Amino acid sequence: MQVIENSRVKEKLYIEKLENGLTIMIIPKKKIQKKYIIWGTNYGSNDSTFIVPGENDVTEVPKGVAHFLEHKMFEQENGRNSLDVLTALGVNANAYTTNNHTAYLYECTDNFYEALNEFMDYVQNPYFTDENVEKEKGIIGQEIMMYDDYPDWKVYLNALECMYHKNPVKLDITGTIETISHIDKDILYKCYNTFYNPSNMAMVVCGDFEPKELLEEIKKRLVENKSKGEIKRIYDDEPREIVKAKVEQNMEVSRPLYTIGIKDFPAEEKERVKKHIAIEILLNIIIGSSSELYKNLYDIGNCYSAPGFEYEFEKNYAHVLISGQSNNPEELYEMFKKQIDKFVQNGINETDFKRTKKMIYGEYIKEYNDVTDIAKMFLADYFKGINSFEYLEEINTINIEYLNQVLKNVFNDKKMILSVVKN
Amino acid sequence: MEHNEIDIKNGIKLHKIQTDKFKTNLIAVMLTTKLERESVTKNALIPAILRRGTAKLNTQEEINKKLEEMYGASFDCGLDKTGDNQVLKFYIETVNDEFLPQDAENMLKTSLENIFDIVLNPYLESNCFKKEYVEQEKENLKQIIEGKIDNKARYSLDRCIEEMYKNKPYGLYKYGYIEDLNNINEKNLYEHYIKLVNQCKIDIFVSGILGDKIEDIIKENENIQKLKERNPEYIMPEINAKIAEQENVIQESMDVNQGKLIIGLDLDLENEDLKYDAMIYNSILGGSANSKLFQNVREKESLAYTASSSYYRFKNNIFINCGIEIENFDKALEIIKQQVEDMKNGDFTDEEVENAKQGIIAAIKSIDDEQDTEITYFFSQELSTNKLGIEEYMDRISQINKQNVIDIANKVSINTIYFLKN
Repeated sequence: MQVIENSRVKEKLYIEKLENGLTIMIIPKKKIQKKYIIWGTNYGSNDSTFIVPGENDVTEVPKGVAHFLEHKMFEQENGRNSLDVLTALGVNANAYTTNNHTAYLYECTDNFYEALNEFMDYVQNPYFTDENVEKEKGIIGQEIMMYDDYPDWKVYLNALECMYHKNPVKLDITGTIETISHIDKDILYKCYNTFYNPSNMAMVVCGDFEPKELLEEIKKRLVENKSKGEIKRIYDDEPREIVKAKVEQNMEVSRPLYTIGIKDFPAEEKERVKKHIAIEILLNIIIGSSSELYKNLYDIGNCYSAPGFEYEFEKNYAHVLISGQSNNPEELYEMFKKQIDKFVQNGINETDFKRTKKMIYGEYIKEYNDVTDIAKMFLADYFKGINSFEYLEEINTINIEYLNQVLKNVFNDKKMILSVVKN
Repeated sequence: MEHNEIDIKNGIKLHKIQTDKFKTNLIAVMLTTKLERESVTKNALIPAILRRGTAKLNTQEEINKKLEEMYGASFDCGLDKTGDNQVLKFYIETVNDEFLPQDAENMLKTSLENIFDIVLNPYLESNCFKKEYVEQEKENLKQIIEGKIDNKARYSLDRCIEEMYKNKPYGLYKYGYIEDLNNINEKNLYEHYIKLVNQCKIDIFVSGILGDKIEDIIKENENIQKLKERNPEYIMPEINAKIAEQENVIQESMDVNQGKLIIGLDLDLENEDLKYDAMIYNSILGGSANSKLFQNVREKESLAYTASSSYYRFKNNIFINCGIEIENFDKALEIIKQQVEDMKNGDFTDEEVENAKQGIIAAIKSIDDEQDTEITYFFSQELSTNKLGIEEYMDRISQINKQNVIDIANKVSINTIYFLKN
């Protein structure tokens, strides 16, 4: 196993790529009772058009299959449900689907290896029937309706729709009640067999483990499954331009919710982490809780809590999102744009830069407190081609010139959109 | 992990949690006071005013800049309803010195000074709160109160509790009431604050790599020194016999796609010790993926995505929570009621009891793997009549058997059925 040590946060990553292509990452945490394991496949809601290795024709499946599969993976022959089996062992099991990956996980204090038997068994052995697929449509239907009642989810999705012409990131991860009605067991098997190949998957474990011993235990439980070659994923070309500058939806809310989006494009692989950090620093300086803009917004009663913001990116999209509740989102949006102009003209101030950099560094250290956070972070970063430790190192390479350059390139008026949900 | 309690003064307690598992130190200050209609809104305003400025750092901008300078120390404050108490909570989390450059200042000491300044040494003008801050925070609080409709599931739960505890302290909304705001000003709010700080129960939690001097640093802090001894006014949980005379059904309408069904159950327990049995009962009823609600409402009937229950130990209630198709109300209710009935008849296995115990014991074992969970645990013990250490807690859970759970099931009655539809 390769060992990568980070001296700043004083943690080690043990990493190994097995012959079948599966990547295993172990981050030992001494003295912690909780153990966390997560197994992900690089397959999410965005992957609905692809060429199966060995085939020539393009396969297109209904939106929402990745998430549907995630729900159905727990079901096994003879009515056995792996979620029940794991819960009965006293472990806390779950799964989730994002735009680009699906992950299965559990956390526990005891019975780790008993649970590992069941866990690795169910992820490697799907069992779909017409009946159990039909039954799930009702449950997922209620999940979709639950999200329909979340104004913060709606304002987010509408923002993505303003930015993207083609990229499927703008669609609901769950699909819609209409798209899932077309899902059947054959589609599920086809997607499973394509994407749940070890060469397309990675596993991360965090807790008090002896890495070599754990690796052997994992290997013992792997079913033989050879890499079938590259999966060709087909995405339409996405224009750099936005779709439309504004969108509004009505829902019963006390005050308007807003999301400001800035459409960007993915950086070169070696610059991704650096650019991500720079954007985090910039957002904090521009609209963070100690910023001049936030103070002004607060004083005029526009909003009472600092906006949330983040830079979301994958291999084929990237955007900035700023969200919150405001009495007047239009006013906030105009003030935000003016503030950016001001920073572009005057440049970022050295004091703000140094202070914010310290803060972000502290935030990165804090991410290593909890085994759950650590494992999830390493998995999500892995599918972006990033080793999470890079953030702790790259932050030291950022200087004010680079920051000003990113500011000019990314915070571009023509790439901005405003999404609002209000009464 | 080592937990020590030290009485700083009567009514003011320090909880030292010595642990080297984390990258951070976490400090919490809890002010606990009786939940009352007259003071609920004023109390809710206080954390918001305090975080606006201290005698040393007069604006929230200065406070935030100071926190950022401390490698992203995070400050947070909030409100809780714990039984019939209103709790004002303040937290500050900093990276441990071990992970910072050599020249960084001593973070633990600095963060203690800062949190005590925020809670106990506010920015004042003419010997009362700054008028502008009070007026702004009144407006903000109004918006928070109005905002309770934004999360429909949470709103439904709050409404159910409000109906079950009409005209009782626990029925109060923790953020208070808009109609109170008009009569609050910088002067009477400051007077209220002084009274609160002199009378409330104060608990200070410090968790992390602490060193020997921590107790002295706290005792010698000027803000702590000026605090007076007190016999704090707060409410310990009581076991009240309660059996709902009849089920109260409330249906309300809002612009929703999905119906939100909340069912409030009463547990008529004779003594506090039975709360542990009640935890197992809840786990089997709706506390996990193996539970009766999840299995029957969701997995068998595909009626819901969310189908669960939670036990509120301070009030001895269980709240069942389901998101369903509006037209399925009767069907879902019938199935849920059947589960409550089946529990009474002992229609569950010894194995289910053992599984539930395992799940809860695993959760107890990992209490000290998260700093805030650990503080929450010790604080909830602080407000309980019979305190249990983590080991005793696990022992108590492991003794529970099927008959104990059936006994609990027969003390359960439906109090209120609340349904939010369109």
